[in-house]
Amino acid sequence: MGLGGNWANRTYHWEVNMIAEAEKLRRGRALPIPWERIPWWVIILSIVGIIIGWSVLTSETYLRVIRFVMGGLKLTLQVTFISYAIALVVGLIFGLMRVTKNPILYAVSTLYVEVMRGVPLLVIILYMGYVITPMLRDATGGRIDLQGIPAAVLGMAICYGAYLTEVYRSGIQSIERGQMEAARSLGMSYLQAMRHVILPQAIRRILPPLGNDFIAMLKDSSLIAVIALPDLLQMGRLYVSRTFRAFEGYNTVALLYLVLTLFLSLLVRIVERRTAIE
Amino acid sequence: MSEPIIAIENVYKSFGHVKAVVDVSMEVAPGEVVVIIGPSGAGKSTLLRCINNLEPIDSGRVIIDGVSITDAPDINEVRAEIGMVFQLFNLFPHLTALENITLAQRVVRRRDQEEAETIAREQLAKVGIAEKWDSYPSQLSGGQQQRVAIARALAMYPKIMLFDEPTSALDPEMIKGVLDVMLDLAREGMTMVVVSHEMGFVRAAADRVIIMDNGSIIEEDTPEELFTAPKEERTKQFLSQILHQ
Repeated sequence: MGLGGNWANRTYHWEVNMIAEAEKLRRGRALPIPWERIPWWVIILSIVGIIIGWSVLTSETYLRVIRFVMGGLKLTLQVTFISYAIALVVGLIFGLMRVTKNPILYAVSTLYVEVMRGVPLLVIILYMGYVITPMLRDATGGRIDLQGIPAAVLGMAICYGAYLTEVYRSGIQSIERGQMEAARSLGMSYLQAMRHVILPQAIRRILPPLGNDFIAMLKDSSLIAVIALPDLLQMGRLYVSRTFRAFEGYNTVALLYLVLTLFLSLLVRIVERRTAIE
Repeated sequence: MSEPIIAIENVYKSFGHVKAVVDVSMEVAPGEVVVIIGPSGAGKSTLLRCINNLEPIDSGRVIIDGVSITDAPDINEVRAEIGMVFQLFNLFPHLTALENITLAQRVVRRRDQEEAETIAREQLAKVGIAEKWDSYPSQLSGGQQQRVAIARALAMYPKIMLFDEPTSALDPEMIKGVLDVMLDLAREGMTMVVVSHEMGFVRAAADRVIIMDNGSIIEEDTPEELFTAPKEERTKQFLSQILHQ
């Protein structure tokens, strides 16, 4: 019933539109099709995606690879989301320290940013897995053991926290000075002004770079394979080494990463649109 | 003269090598309307911003209602009593007019949402744009934005209002609406310190005019005296420039 009503409705609209179009044509000022506004990349990607998706889903080999790496996919998502959530908080805290007048807090956060930004993520993950984790385990008599996922998550969060610190700092500093002055002149404390006036504006402005780092982080999570975690890439490699089907194995891995990042970038766009100031 | 609500004593303020305010002392009585005029770069705005400590002073004292702002236990309490209106309005662009006015009431005055909104609507009505409560600053004209900014300051029920060139960023046809709001305030007995060159407002509302140049006060008097019989040569020069524009 709903379908029928919908269909009739749509037909009606279609007819109305056609009449309107005909009217425009008759008057000789038909609106040109807005070619430049059509999201070509989405169309091309969709076509390619459908072709690849079809050939993958009808191929027994690809289905076998996908089933094999599914657990890895889950781990990749899990590590990415948790690390990103922690990095968002770490970045906010250090970002606020980067813009204070307190010289100690400023020095601490600058040191953090410069060190963590200067060391490759791969090295940080190796450190977390093979240096910090055993040291902590020995020092606490085994009560704190970061072995495995916690080590990977912390490594990624600390590294990306440094990048996000700079993102937050630039966002906060991009807000006009008058905003802080107006808030302070009303009797708000520095932190109240930050929370209610500066940050809500700054975060809207930094959504694109925040989204960028989210996607970069998803891809960089493939590095956690070095501490023997069975993520998407690791499972793909395992499949290849077992079957020698490198082509199908890495195709699947690449495709799954691509699908995930495209999904995330869509998510970022939606969030940006929802939070835009009218 | 009753106890001054603002007392400025030998205040100095420099920015690097630039001496913005040099040894300024002045007092403002409750209910008084004082207008500061002077050439650009004279230190008028800086002096105004020293009153609520937006610019921390280098030396001297600023005493607001008996409390020295440099050793006030909580500067935010002092600032809540001093409303400030800026040249460029400085409304919060992510909040509607109503939210702009309720925010500080809630977080500083600790009023609940309902009370804050009631007061906000009253103040919006007072500045003549009650129907704009749901608009974002970007949807308002400059004059409307400045009136929201005045309402935002008034909603805190301040004892003092500071105006830093409130009409100089406005289109000519917007100025009158803002000045009318300020005139009403002056008539209600609000203590006001205004940096402005709106001579119409000065004549109609100012109890006292202060002329500044190079960071110092050159002369101060009632507008009648100052405009008809200025004593200092620099005052005469400046007045002839702004009155014959």
